[in-house]
Amino acid sequence: MKPLILCLAALAATPALAGDTTPEALIATYSAEAGQPADPARGEALFLAETGGGKPDTPSCTTCHTADPTRAGQARTGKAIEPLAPRANPARFTDTAHVEKWFGRNCNSVLGRDCTAAEKSDIITWLTGL
Amino acid sequence: MAQKIVWDRYIRLFHWGLVATIAGAAVTGFLMGAEALLIHIVTGTLAVILVTSRIVWGFLGGTYARFSSFTPRPRDVLAHLRGGGVRHLGHNPLGALMVLALLATILGIGLSGLAVLGGTLKTGPLSGLSFELGRTLREGHELLATGLLVLIGLHLGGVIFESLRSRENLARAMVTGRKPSRSGDHPDAPRKAHPRAALALGAALVLGLGGLAIAATNRPVPGAPVAEWDALTQDECSACHMTYHPSLLPRTNWRALMAGLDDHFGEDASLPADATGQITDWLEAHAAETADTLPAHRLGLGVDESTLRLTETRFWKRTHRDIPDATFTRKPVLSRANCRACHADAETGWFSPFQISIPKETLQ
Repeated sequence: MKPLILCLAALAATPALAGDTTPEALIATYSAEAGQPADPARGEALFLAETGGGKPDTPSCTTCHTADPTRAGQARTGKAIEPLAPRANPARFTDTAHVEKWFGRNCNSVLGRDCTAAEKSDIITWLTGL
Repeated sequence: MAQKIVWDRYIRLFHWGLVATIAGAAVTGFLMGAEALLIHIVTGTLAVILVTSRIVWGFLGGTYARFSSFTPRPRDVLAHLRGGGVRHLGHNPLGALMVLALLATILGIGLSGLAVLGGTLKTGPLSGLSFELGRTLREGHELLATGLLVLIGLHLGGVIFESLRSRENLARAMVTGRKPSRSGDHPDAPRKAHPRAALALGAALVLGLGGLAIAATNRPVPGAPVAEWDALTQDECSACHMTYHPSLLPRTNWRALMAGLDDHFGEDASLPADATGQITDWLEAHAAETADTLPAHRLGLGVDESTLRLTETRFWKRTHRDIPDATFTRKPVLSRANCRACHADAETGWFSPFQISIPKETLQ
């Protein structure tokens, strides 16, 4: 736990999209924090689910990212969102602060709570395998 | 009966040119919106140029073109009104008053229009005027334009009445320029025309005034919305949407908006406290109170304190009422909040009427 906190603290000082990490490193960090191996099937299920715990305009990750994360999504404002899958968009999951900021915002919007470390590692693992 | 050239070629060209330009300016001004503003300004400017040239010709033209030959004395007008007036080959006293009134009114409309353009849109040589003054003069512009319509109606009535009274087709005379000379006509002292001098003076006036106008147009505009964005504000705000210019909301509304980022129009957009603070400060420093543009006044200062959605303001609804719902919901616009889909300069805060282009629907 302590190395992770130190790591995050160091990274908070670096500019956005500095490319300080890789999807594999993030999966490893989140899995270690969760104390369980990542499961892409659980990640896919969570990503596609409509849980209903969050804000009414954003019932699911797919509201904006669509059910196909290898393609661009669309924010409710009309602005395009780059694909989430690293194969389609190599810049994804390369900046810890960016990843933390958007998990923080979007988990709250969709689920009404923070995502657990296990959920984060599951989702990144599923997206990385696409 | 000897035919006489009463209306020279310039006068006829001027008259029908004025009919065309005033018709264009009236249709675009009274009946159309922002999409026709450029045509309105062009036709209005051409009408003012025509009137300027007519004033020059009023001093350097021939007998019937000269102000000195037709500007009536009050007793001439009274005599004419009593019905005792003789026939005039040129303008009769009432017709002459109408000519002067039309010329003055058109000049007044042109000047006030320039002031409206300068004050409300910060465009043109009078862009230094305040928005409030521009709004006030807009009333004058509209009043004068309505007055011009009344004058034109009276002018047409006068032409018909005088045609019947003197048994001649005055409208045709304005096409051919010719009128039959009759015994008993009001005698007019012949005046020689100076077309070269008039052309030189007219060109000098138009070029001189035009040059002045262009020089004045290129001055920096007071009350312009801030052009340099704070980098953090731009980055964070543009992550999910176009950057809404700080001059579109007043300070208190920005403060309220930034205090509620955890539920930002239905989504969590929270930021670290220091970033929130920096962005709030910058937005407040350049809020609607600091800009003198039309959007700052009509959107920004027109909203009440609880409004954060610009699309819920009365001004927004009124100015977008002719646009079908589908245009907003289909690609490529997709959202009413996506101003820049149609307003090319939306992110500058200007929202110029000359920068609007509604895109065609796309399927992908």
